[in-house]
Amino acid sequence: MIVDDDPALRQALNLRLRANNYDVVSACDGYSALALAQKERPDVILLDLGLPAGDGFAVLSNLQQFPSLTTIPVIVLTARDPQSSEARSLKSGAVAFFQKPADNQELLDTVRTCLETGQAFTRRWPR
Amino acid sequence: MESPANVLLVEDNQGDADLVRLRLVESDPPVKVDCARRLSEALKTLAAKKPSLVLLDLNLPDSRGAETFRRVLEKAPDVPVVILSGQDDETLAMKAVHLGVQDYLIKGDITSKHLERALRYAIERQSLLRALDMTRKQQLEFKNQFLSHVSHELRTPLTCIHQYATLLLDGLAGPVTAEQSDHLKTVLKSVTQLHAMIRDLLEATRAEAGKMRIEPRCMAVGDLMVQAMAMMRPAAEQKRIELEAVLDAAIPLVYADPDRILEVLINLLDNAIKFTPEGGSVAVKACMIETDPSAVYVSVSDTGRGISAQALPRIFERLFQDENAAEGSRSGLGLGLYIAREIVTLHGGRMWAASEPGSGSTFSFHLPVYSLARLLRPVITEEGRLRPSFVLVRVMVKPGRTPPLGNWKVLCLQVLEVVRRCVYVDKDLVLPPMGGLANVETVYVVASTDMERVTIMLRRIQEQLKTIPQLEISGKVEVTAEALEVPANASAQDLDQQVQALATRVQETILAGLAAQAKRNAEKGKK
Repeated sequence: MIVDDDPALRQALNLRLRANNYDVVSACDGYSALALAQKERPDVILLDLGLPAGDGFAVLSNLQQFPSLTTIPVIVLTARDPQSSEARSLKSGAVAFFQKPADNQELLDTVRTCLETGQAFTRRWPR
Repeated sequence: MESPANVLLVEDNQGDADLVRLRLVESDPPVKVDCARRLSEALKTLAAKKPSLVLLDLNLPDSRGAETFRRVLEKAPDVPVVILSGQDDETLAMKAVHLGVQDYLIKGDITSKHLERALRYAIERQSLLRALDMTRKQQLEFKNQFLSHVSHELRTPLTCIHQYATLLLDGLAGPVTAEQSDHLKTVLKSVTQLHAMIRDLLEATRAEAGKMRIEPRCMAVGDLMVQAMAMMRPAAEQKRIELEAVLDAAIPLVYADPDRILEVLINLLDNAIKFTPEGGSVAVKACMIETDPSAVYVSVSDTGRGISAQALPRIFERLFQDENAAEGSRSGLGLGLYIAREIVTLHGGRMWAASEPGSGSTFSFHLPVYSLARLLRPVITEEGRLRPSFVLVRVMVKPGRTPPLGNWKVLCLQVLEVVRRCVYVDKDLVLPPMGGLANVETVYVVASTDMERVTIMLRRIQEQLKTIPQLEISGKVEVTAEALEVPANASAQDLDQQVQALATRVQETILAGLAAQAKRNAEKGKK
């Protein structure tokens, strides 16, 4: 599942992921992302941080509220700078952080690793 | 203009003090006057209650000259100060004005009108300077926020260009001819350049705002040199430039952020290659400094066109660029050297350039040497002696069969956090990360206690590590402990020497362990 408010980027990612034999669904804001995740139960979520209707961090924390959703690996893909956002993303439950423009191969490799692992586990920062 | 409500008069000469006091009390509206005869009295009064203004004689029984006004300004930076100067002290009084005092008056030459006006003026001047300072700070803050925002916004359209150019290039929208492929590669080259410029802009802005962060660890400069050279070799080969490294065999380890220093080296190499004509040479050097054992010297020198005498002092300025800047550079903004120098300065080192127009340039910098003795000392000594026993604990994390999801760095950070929580803050030392082995992270702890207590700590660590979910699935943890021999307490031996000896032994043990691990990794890789 791709969550990004930029339609051009959604389309480009869509094409690329499909070309790699993945099924893709997309959402354009925080609210619909949650609804879509409930409905489709994706295996991986690619999440932008700068979203309307609640930013990416809201989505991350909302995902933790639902037992069925909390186990989906989330990869953050954002224009924001790692120095300010990476640690927070990872502490909020993301498993990886990429800054746009990201290297396509690295992104795909991470997606593949998420899917191959296929493990269900919570990614809370140890407390 | 405001009149002072109350003035603190600091003057030890009774006669002078009375004169001034009289004038002030006569003024309209009358000014309340508090007196102090000594600097210590004045400072005490300033701590209790801030007057509207301080009239200050510089020569007091417990302080003379510049020191007097310096200490008053330090104690009450918001209160305007006017100096009461003797006839011969005008130079000093003017110096005082340069350094933050608002005005000075010559004793014996003060009429009451004069005094009133001078005091009002001093208060006005002070408030004006404060307003100016605040405006300056606000403008700087605005500029930095603006630049951060802009560099963030530029990324979105850049990402779009990158995505669609790569889509086409990778044949995902239909077959691509060789010519089309070339054109797309040209587009992508510009994307890379723009990306570097945006990154430099953000870094330079952050550096100026004091928000750049580094994560130093114990590392070997040589490793970074090798890496940097490998990355720049293609560019050098394109211009048939010889690229070589000169590395002292026995350079001590440095305490530095490997990613950042790599950035510095690449920056310098990029410039060197850019400004050196075909067939020239570029050398990277690292060595110890005879006169300063606490730093390591690193330099990048070239046989290029050099830097003119006018340009040299400005070379590290932001946005400063030599005319005839060559094509194909990483970033065309002229921020590279500024950023490089900021990074080195943050590490506690300094960077400078030397050049001979026509024959070449050398950019040099210092990095601090890693001193385990200094870090260990507060932990292993107690009341001037070494503690009785120490244990070296090693927590080693290796990836399991399933590679860790996403960021290996995250996993390492999590392990470090866990270990930190399990040690005694005062008595144990978690060493800064050492070595640069990919995919093996080792956290070392020097525990200043005995084996028994350490066993308890180890158990705690093991338990706590279980709370890292990723670790269970994707990593293996090895926790070992080794008792360290306490150096014989020959009372003739300096405590410093003992600490140093222990530190050296610890460091050697650790490095030997890391080297052995690296060897095992290399052998595994070969299979």
